[in-house]
Amino acid sequence: MNAMRRPASSWLADGLTLAALCAWWLTARGLPDFVLPGPVAVAERLLALFTDTTFLVHTLASTVRVLVSVLLALVIGSGLALIQRAWPALDWVLRGGVQPFLNSFPSIGWAILAAIWFTPSHGSIIFVQVAILIPFCLINVGEGLRQIDRETLEMAQSFTRRRRRIAFLVGLPLLAPYLLGALRISYGVAWKIALVAELLGATSGLGFLMLRAQGSADQTTVLAACFAIVALFVAGEKLLLEPLARRFAAR
Amino acid sequence: MSGATARPPGAALDPPQASTRTKALVAFGCAAAIAIAWSLAAGRVPPYMLPAPADVGRAALGFFGSARQLAHLGATLTHIGAAITIAFTLGALLALAAHYARWSAPAIHHRLSPFLNAFSGIGWTLLAVIWFGVSSATVVFTITVVLLPFALINLREGLVALDRELLEMGRSFGRGAGRMFAVVVLPALLPFCAATLRIMFGVSWKVALTAELFGGSKGLGYMINIARQDYDTATIFTVILFIILAVYMADRLAFAPLERYTSRHYGRASPR
Repeated sequence: MNAMRRPASSWLADGLTLAALCAWWLTARGLPDFVLPGPVAVAERLLALFTDTTFLVHTLASTVRVLVSVLLALVIGSGLALIQRAWPALDWVLRGGVQPFLNSFPSIGWAILAAIWFTPSHGSIIFVQVAILIPFCLINVGEGLRQIDRETLEMAQSFTRRRRRIAFLVGLPLLAPYLLGALRISYGVAWKIALVAELLGATSGLGFLMLRAQGSADQTTVLAACFAIVALFVAGEKLLLEPLARRFAAR
Repeated sequence: MSGATARPPGAALDPPQASTRTKALVAFGCAAAIAIAWSLAAGRVPPYMLPAPADVGRAALGFFGSARQLAHLGATLTHIGAAITIAFTLGALLALAAHYARWSAPAIHHRLSPFLNAFSGIGWTLLAVIWFGVSSATVVFTITVVLLPFALINLREGLVALDRELLEMGRSFGRGAGRMFAVVVLPALLPFCAATLRIMFGVSWKVALTAELFGGSKGLGYMINIARQDYDTATIFTVILFIILAVYMADRLAFAPLERYTSRHYGRASPR
């Protein structure tokens, strides 16, 4: 667009990215495909992940499960945070017990336990992902409830006595940035860490696809799946989370 | 408690308060209920699904009495320590480079950091297994690349938050850039370093076990993989409970005080 106005450092950033791609291409030429496939082969496979039905099934399975898990975790995490606020007697149990317990629980631990407890299914994978994501939502929403501006709430109370009205018209908008923060962190963690859920016992998803490809020394598919995750992560940020953040930041 | 139940949650204006005694009683009650429920449930299902609390206790005693298992714990701690050290050093160098050599900032903050931040940890593990084989190098590499964006993003915030007026005052007292860095910049960064270390420690445990399970030949992750194949669920429970306890204690007793200390002594405001 206005290419002349771009600072030199931006050109340098693009140049370095291009240089990295060239370096990858040059290195890959001297190495067998099962160690490092070239960028062209990986790009073709990446395209196939979104167009070829045999691969698309896995991409879609992961995407849908990530979205469902993030929403479920947000609902459960917020519920726990609200319970913590409404019943202070449970404060020690939730803030001193449940929260650190879930937060320190190793993610692979959930995957192993789910593989022992349930027959592999979409439900068992979502269970693992939700268990991994809940603490992130609980911590963020809990922080939001603590930070909520008491004076604004007081003002709202002087206008109406109806608590539900206050909660929806004042409480929720005040909480929105924290809900968004929780959503954003969970979405990132879901793609980057919670995908372990697909490594044990699953028969679909990008995690399963990567593990199977690695088992048959198909490094092209492993790399393509990694880039597909990067693409899906960035797409979710740009198309979903950033518009949401803009929408609610204006309030 | 009776007063609190009448309010719809979220609409409560002033959060209701509870006495320490009530909280302790409720906490004790919940813990007891969980213990009873666990014992009852363990009696109904085979031990490979849910071992009884006593079995887990025995496994825990065995864990700390066995040199081989303690060696696995040592291996995991070494992996995590090495990865945190490398990732922190690399992250600090890159963040400083982007801050002082401005021309490199877009390449580091708008290309490298988002890319690493979006890359899946499992992806790194599976790639590293092929590149470095099943070894400690694979585990340390995986944890390092997962931690690197955390270091980069947090230290960048610290550098951005540097007090401009403080820097100006520093410049008016002396011109040596090295002295300035050591006396003014570094202390101001310490609270952010502490916060970064704390985050990295928490994340590293989440990644380390997965990396060890798929790409390691020792460590707690390797150990629970063996236990899983032997249907030795009591050992899996022991490792998980131990990690929860260790991570929580380290955070409470080491990282949180460190963060508080540095932000009280060197910080303007507490870093996020």
